Amino acid sequence: MSFGLVLKELDERARERGGGVYVATMTIVVFFEDAAIGDLARDRIHTLAAKHPSRVVLFDGTQSDALHHVEGEDWVELGAKGSNAALLRGALNALRLPEAPVILLWIAPGIGDDERFCELSRDARTVVYNSSLVDAGNTALHQLVEYVGRHPELPIADIAYLRLAPWQESVAILFDGEESSELLDLTSVEIACGSDPEALYLLGWLASRLGWKPVSATMLTSPSAKQIAFAIRREGEPRRIARVALTSTRSSFVAEVDPHGETINLSVSGSRAKPPRLRAINNPGVAALVERAILTSQNDRVFQASLAAAGAVLAVGTPSP
Amino acid sequence: MPSRPNRVLEEVVVNPLRAGLPEEGITTPCSAVFFGASGDLFKRMLLPAVYSMHLRGMLPTAFALVGFARTPYDDASFRDYCLKQLDLFMPQDKKPQGPLWEDFAKRISYVTADFTDTRHFLALKDRLAQNDAEFGTAGNHLFYLATPPPVFPDIIKHLKEAGLDKDDNGWTRIVVEKPFGTDLESARKLQQAIEAVFPENEIYRIDHYLGKEPVQDIIALRFANTIFEPIWNRNYVQNIQITSAESLGVEERGGYYDSAGALRDMIQNHVINLLALVAMEAPISSHADDIRNEKYKVLSAIRPPAHADVWSLSARGQYGAGTIDGEPVVGYRQEHDVAPDSNTETFAAVKLFVESWRWAGVPFYLRSGKRLPRKVSEIAVTFKPIPHRFYGEATDRIEPNVLVIKIEPDEGISMRFEAKVPGPKEHIRSVFMDFSYGTGFGVVSPPAYERLIGDAIQGDQTLFTRWDAVERAWEIVTPILEVWQHTKDFTFPNYAAGSQGPQSAQHLFPDWRRL
Repeated sequence: MSFGLVLKELDERARERGGGVYVATMTIVVFFEDAAIGDLARDRIHTLAAKHPSRVVLFDGTQSDALHHVEGEDWVELGAKGSNAALLRGALNALRLPEAPVILLWIAPGIGDDERFCELSRDARTVVYNSSLVDAGNTALHQLVEYVGRHPELPIADIAYLRLAPWQESVAILFDGEESSELLDLTSVEIACGSDPEALYLLGWLASRLGWKPVSATMLTSPSAKQIAFAIRREGEPRRIARVALTSTRSSFVAEVDPHGETINLSVSGSRAKPPRLRAINNPGVAALVERAILTSQNDRVFQASLAAAGAVLAVGTPSP
Repeated sequence: MPSRPNRVLEEVVVNPLRAGLPEEGITTPCSAVFFGASGDLFKRMLLPAVYSMHLRGMLPTAFALVGFARTPYDDASFRDYCLKQLDLFMPQDKKPQGPLWEDFAKRISYVTADFTDTRHFLALKDRLAQNDAEFGTAGNHLFYLATPPPVFPDIIKHLKEAGLDKDDNGWTRIVVEKPFGTDLESARKLQQAIEAVFPENEIYRIDHYLGKEPVQDIIALRFANTIFEPIWNRNYVQNIQITSAESLGVEERGGYYDSAGALRDMIQNHVINLLALVAMEAPISSHADDIRNEKYKVLSAIRPPAHADVWSLSARGQYGAGTIDGEPVVGYRQEHDVAPDSNTETFAAVKLFVESWRWAGVPFYLRSGKRLPRKVSEIAVTFKPIPHRFYGEATDRIEPNVLVIKIEPDEGISMRFEAKVPGPKEHIRSVFMDFSYGTGFGVVSPPAYERLIGDAIQGDQTLFTRWDAVERAWEIVTPILEVWQHTKDFTFPNYAAGSQGPQSAQHLFPDWRRL
């Protein structure tokens, strides 16, 4: 890995800039091992760096570690195929901006037993993971649960969780006001999603807010020992929730995406019936989600509780989509 | 002084799903009534702001909009009107269309009204009850006065007569557009009319300037950093200049402006508000009244100039013909709807002192004007010169440090300091350390009206001006207004459009920052 040459190039670029204003305030480190994911990551990080000027260091696990590419003064790509953990850490230490926080985006399968992840995340102020990018199943989420269990101090955020915000808000709206009493009387939850992590997070979020504990792969129990059946269905596009349906003994509460994917339609039937309502989805892009991770992940107790609850669901048996 | 805390939680958090949830939008149900809904402010600013909030998912799902104005519309034709205005004034990627527009449109209704007829307010009451039943707006009513100010008292009176001043099931709030009065007496009269019906915690006096992101950043700059507060006082600060300059003339507002002038239009509200933010002590919390208490304390520490001192503490001007950006422009007296012998000032500069332990002896120079070389709003804090000079060549001029908080057009912060010029000699010259919000965060701030309407729905009065501050601001400028009004300025027009302002401003203070 030729980061000595890279440093030289960066120095030259800085000299070319002369005395102009230097505004980068973060070092964003990206690690990926899939070319297609790498292309996506480049695009998203460009957007993010345009908003939050940053030194960007991309470790490209698809390219030989002899290759490097420098763009402008703050964009560095290094081949990382075959690079060991110590080498990556050495490169990061050489290239990071002094005094600026390091944000690590780890976009590769497996974190628990990967030395490279351990080394790169050691100094990161925020680690951004995406448990549903690599596959639609729950393996990556499982690994995250285990890793965070062993390293509770890790300042990690998961894009799969962060993209749920419009759905959390929509489900919460269904129970604002008098309807909140129905939360104590729920009998079933059904979540339809194109990939497992988002569905498990949403279920975990509900469980953590309402004190539910999983007792089997299809059943939760409430603090008052009521049983709540749950089901996760694989439906629609990956990484997108399609529908959340909660049923109480008297009413049914449904949040469902419209066919164009632009709005969430909220409906309540039964004794609490209400006219349908509608909310713009405003799906934030990955760049915006990473930004949110950077700004909030360290104190997001709701995420931590949701992750733990999703882990508990996984532990009693994987719900079959 | 009103009791704290002012920020009332609108709903007791009984929905456990809300705990810790990021604030994605406003949840408080509400019917917003816009008085003057066929007017310019509504179509250009308020309607686009509300629709943009809808597109961003910021509006509560239980929301309805009621237009109330003289122009005859029914619900359907008012919706068409709104659609046309949104088509005109929303950016290309936010034009009204599809299910989101349809969902918004069905929440729009209209009451054709005479503001002096209680029957129309009773019709409004029926409409609001209908909204409560149909859209779940829960008896929460936001009344937005977007009419010309002379109509405000009528509206308020009839709201009371129709029983719309309160609702047994929800809250009632009234948003009052600036100007709040045209002088101290009229402001007090207006306040009397409003407070006879609404308590202070239901009154939202809007000054959209306060909704601008950089104005809010003043508090962050001062109180989220440790390096500024120790030197933010008379021991280190030489003077503070607050400028709000425009290159535009009066445009289509000649009629209004000719009865107002720069002192009323800008200094009494926007500029004095900036002064309060820059000079206030640290509030004990971010609650609305904690901040507003501190702002009021600053204003109450400013002694209004004695009539005899007005000429030595202020300067006024009126623009004549000149050039802006290389283009010739007419003088103020040639503008549409302006009297050909107008005595109205288009430029005002004032020197004030905050008589407090922190600021004793530090002059605050405020200026605002039209047809100045460029649009700029900024606060410049000039620090005292070094106490002893031992460095630099004898011919070098050592400038004082200046911290500039730039509000418009390039939001940011700039610090001027002295540095050694590279080379064998010990030459010193000024250099600048610049921070721009545009490059530092790369974000476009949401328009001020979106923020302020959202805050009003949520019951957060932080960015709205409290009566005591409005009254005090009028008290500060009243002696100047009185002297100016009673003294015709035979030198008018006394500055050319595109120049730095009148010579009298230079006499008041020779070191104004160049525009």
